Amino acid sequence: MKRLLLVGAALALVATTNVQAGPREDIVALLMAEASAEDAAFAGFSGERGQILFSSNFNTGKPETPSCTSCHSTSPQNMGETRAGKPIEPIAVSKTPERFTDPEKVEKWFRRNCRSVIGRECTALEKGDFITYMMSQ
Amino acid sequence: MPAPKLPSTPTLRVWDLPTRLYHWIQVVLVALALGLGFFAPEWLLNQHVVIGFALVGLILFRLVWGFFGSYYSRFSSFVPTPGRLRAHFSGILNKQSAPAGGHELGHNPVGALMVFGLIFVLGAITITGIVTLGGVENWGPLAGFVDFSTGDRARAVHLALAYVLVVMIVAHIAGVFAESQRSRTSLVRAMVTGDKELPKGRTFGQPDGAKKGAALVSLAGLGGLAGVLFYLGVQVPASGFIQMAEMDDFKSECSDCHELYHPSLLPEESWTLMMAGLEDHFGEDASLSQDTTLAIGTYLERYASEAWDSEAANRLRVVDPEKPMQISASPFWKENHAQIPEEVFKTRPVRGTGNCKACHGDAESGRFDDSKISIPEPTPERES
Repeated sequence: MKRLLLVGAALALVATTNVQAGPREDIVALLMAEASAEDAAFAGFSGERGQILFSSNFNTGKPETPSCTSCHSTSPQNMGETRAGKPIEPIAVSKTPERFTDPEKVEKWFRRNCRSVIGRECTALEKGDFITYMMSQ
Repeated sequence: MPAPKLPSTPTLRVWDLPTRLYHWIQVVLVALALGLGFFAPEWLLNQHVVIGFALVGLILFRLVWGFFGSYYSRFSSFVPTPGRLRAHFSGILNKQSAPAGGHELGHNPVGALMVFGLIFVLGAITITGIVTLGGVENWGPLAGFVDFSTGDRARAVHLALAYVLVVMIVAHIAGVFAESQRSRTSLVRAMVTGDKELPKGRTFGQPDGAKKGAALVSLAGLGGLAGVLFYLGVQVPASGFIQMAEMDDFKSECSDCHELYHPSLLPEESWTLMMAGLEDHFGEDASLSQDTTLAIGTYLERYASEAWDSEAANRLRVVDPEKPMQISASPFWKENHAQIPEEVFKTRPVRGTGNCKACHGDAESGRFDDSKISIPEPTPERES
């Protein structure tokens, strides 16, 4: 029993060190609270849903930008390019560690790009899924 | 064994070496300046301008030499008085060969008219050129003194005079050949060797030589004066540009997706319209917070094209009424980029008409100097 408790404590320690505290985690935590408020059945973010969001062709926003991949390239690992020809750093967190760490920037770009691509603002669930996917990349 | 001395017609040194050098250097420089002015792409403007300043020096030399050169180079020896002109024309009408009067060994009265005319027109071309450079391009010794509209008018005169010069050159060459025929001497060869054969049976005293010291002193004085004026002139900041306050939000927010466009490239009304419609900004949502939108809008309106007298600001102030926010839709932009193959805009590295920096090295300063233009080779579009 004593041994089991020790293992449990160790596991808990590993878990907390794995989920590092930081600005990105704060942003995700806020989105989680929002998502639960929006939907009582909310059961956590999903990187898989985020991947679908990233690669879907919506065609419901502005005709110039039917998909996230229109500018961010088909892989989050790759450099993207704006329609005006300016390079975009990879959106994957492993490639660009500053991604999703500035709440103002996160708000600004989700607002703009969701409207441009989908034609509406994104839900907290979509934003959380998207960030979760990018954190796994 | 010395070569047997051939009997030769007596000749006279009519054109001294400085006059001949002046003539042929001017031929080369004028040809280059005309060629560059009429046919060269805009980014060779500097070369055209440098040649223009060299011509100023050459004209100054000729003016000095007109007073202190050797006899036939001096203006006083070939003043085309009505009397001389009348005598010359009656000679031509009576089909006489060229009379061997003293001044006819030098410039005949019609040739003299051409000499004075060429010096005058060339001088006027260089002056209007420098005014254009200062007013339109905001460069050179007059950049701080001439406004754009004056420069633009000077440019029209500069161009008109260039056509006049071409006509004069054609007339000059035709005149030289006609007179060579009539006088049975090659005037071209005389301008190379400096010598003209003396008409038989007539003797001439050796004409008095140049006052080299006086010429040198005058030329140094005039050249020095021109140099000082030039130096003082270029110290004065160009009148087309104003001091612009820095604004971090403008710099960062307006260069997220595209290069930073200089506020002087659109009129106030266009910027107002643009900042009011950021939700649909050339096909994308580029909305900003209310505060930032207001602050950047105020900044852009303050430094819109109306605040500047640069070439770009003056030209781009006229927008396409259908697309008042699109710089590349303006009549001036279209006219000035019409010669560029569409391929350049469709492929890398330019990729679109909004990428000013790709060809204009100084785009972000709003200067858009002709000499800073460099169109990159279009590359076949690669799939990425």
